[in-house]
Amino acid sequence: MDKNSKWKKKERLENFLYTLPAVILVAVMMYIPFVMSGYYSLTQWNGIAKEPVFIGAGNFAAIFTGKSNFLNSLWFTVRYTIGFVIFSNILALALAVCLTRKFRLANVYRGMFFIPYIMSMTIVGFIWKFIFTQGFAKLFEATGWESLNLSWLGDPGLAFYSVVAVGVWQGLGFYIVLYIAGLQAIPGDVLEAAVVDGATGPQRFFKVVLPLLGPSMTTCIFMSLTNGLKVFDIILALTKGGPGTATYSTTMQIYQEAFTNNNYGLGSAQAIIYFVVVLVITQLVLKAMSRREVDL
Amino acid sequence: MGMKRKQLVARVVMIVILTLLALVYIYPVFLMFMNSFKPFGEIVLDPIAFPKAPTFENITYVIDKIKYGKLFMNNMLITVIGLAGIVAFSSIAAYILDRRRTRYTAFIHAFIITPMLIPFQTIMITLLKAMNVLHLDQSRVGLGIQYWGFGIPMATFIIYNFMKTIPKEIDESAHIDGASTLKTFTAVIFPLLKSVIVTVVVLDVMWIWNDFLLPLLMVNSSNETKTLVLASYTFVGQMNTKWQYAMASMSLTVLPSIIVFILLQKYIVEGVVAGAVKG
Repeated sequence: MDKNSKWKKKERLENFLYTLPAVILVAVMMYIPFVMSGYYSLTQWNGIAKEPVFIGAGNFAAIFTGKSNFLNSLWFTVRYTIGFVIFSNILALALAVCLTRKFRLANVYRGMFFIPYIMSMTIVGFIWKFIFTQGFAKLFEATGWESLNLSWLGDPGLAFYSVVAVGVWQGLGFYIVLYIAGLQAIPGDVLEAAVVDGATGPQRFFKVVLPLLGPSMTTCIFMSLTNGLKVFDIILALTKGGPGTATYSTTMQIYQEAFTNNNYGLGSAQAIIYFVVVLVITQLVLKAMSRREVDL
Repeated sequence: MGMKRKQLVARVVMIVILTLLALVYIYPVFLMFMNSFKPFGEIVLDPIAFPKAPTFENITYVIDKIKYGKLFMNNMLITVIGLAGIVAFSSIAAYILDRRRTRYTAFIHAFIITPMLIPFQTIMITLLKAMNVLHLDQSRVGLGIQYWGFGIPMATFIIYNFMKTIPKEIDESAHIDGASTLKTFTAVIFPLLKSVIVTVVVLDVMWIWNDFLLPLLMVNSSNETKTLVLASYTFVGQMNTKWQYAMASMSLTVLPSIIVFILLQKYIVEGVVAGAVKG
């Protein structure tokens, strides 16, 4: 009895000690700054004055009455994310279907589509800036295609598509390998049975393959959703949010408000709203997708 | 026979289209490398063709100018410190959290993995202040340590899910042989985690090596502490009309990642897939 309780005590001590480093680190790097953000969001502070001044919900009122660019940036981020999710998933799935065919260079091709994903996003932004400004001009000279002569980064409407396209280009390889893994997990006999039953190629794809890809699709849509909402580096390198504020993402807006305008309080309030928006969107989408999967 | 032939034609067409697509897709990367070997005049005149007479002048200029060797070592240092802590603290925590199911460990589990929901931009403003108080800012080691806090939630989550698949009898028998909890973990359990540790390492190396915003906030003020991506970002900003140097600097920044990827493609792709499916 005594030995047992001593053992229990030791176990409890171990449970505490061996998880302690993780707990402290997560608390210091994430929970404490999070709580501090909550506090600063209720204050006005320029980072220089000694103490932040408590102003209650003033920052939130300023944001929702449109006194900062925040709502604008949020709308851009939502549009960007929708474009990013749709194009990433459709293209990745189409390419994954081709890349799962057996041919000699399949692996090399998969690698080629994956390489942009392992590159730094700022570098990706710079490469494309070069292509849009220098490369397209030269290609236009050579081909005479009018679309190459458009101002892909200078026109607010076009810049949106440019940013989405570059984002998709960088991340596509990731979604391709996820879809490939999903396609390879589909048992061969299911497809053979469909062939025997006389299903055509498109029928096989839409009636057999696609429903069985449910879990992969959920993962890919969810990952592209969270990655889309977090977009920062690519836009900073590619357009710096411009022209004007046409491609200003929420993440850039928060950065700008805090570190360029020195409005730490207002920046924190934007950061908190951003957190809530991301949480609500991701949870809603997750719920909708899990319901859909059950239906299948 | 006609059917077979039709299938063959379709297959050839598919492969030809796919080849063209893959080449166009990778062309921007190729373009960056190619332009690193051209003098300025040639880049402006013809940015999309092969270099006429390749020169290493841009590369050597940039290596010297941005102190490439130093930056590379900074990246290595930060990545290695970050990884070591994430793997060590997450795996021991995941072990305890899975094997000791009590109300306390359930709470700690939730406490550790819930921050996966917090986007970095939500906490970055106040993080800078908190790290300043702890003297973890403006330092490479300090930055490495910060990655522990940001990497642990996801790593613990992934390792914890894998831990469930390791039979409890394994550690029970080690225990009966008289091994302490720590000894059981280091000698018996940890070696069995190899595949999931590879997943965590792949995901975290890709993240830390290429990370931009956290290093921008923490180590950007001095040339001594900068990372490759940061230095390249500043350098390209300054050189935005001197494309030959910008291209060389960008090429040098991504070259290590591309070499590692070509050597370890199989492990990297497997790690990324496993991480996404479990994460």
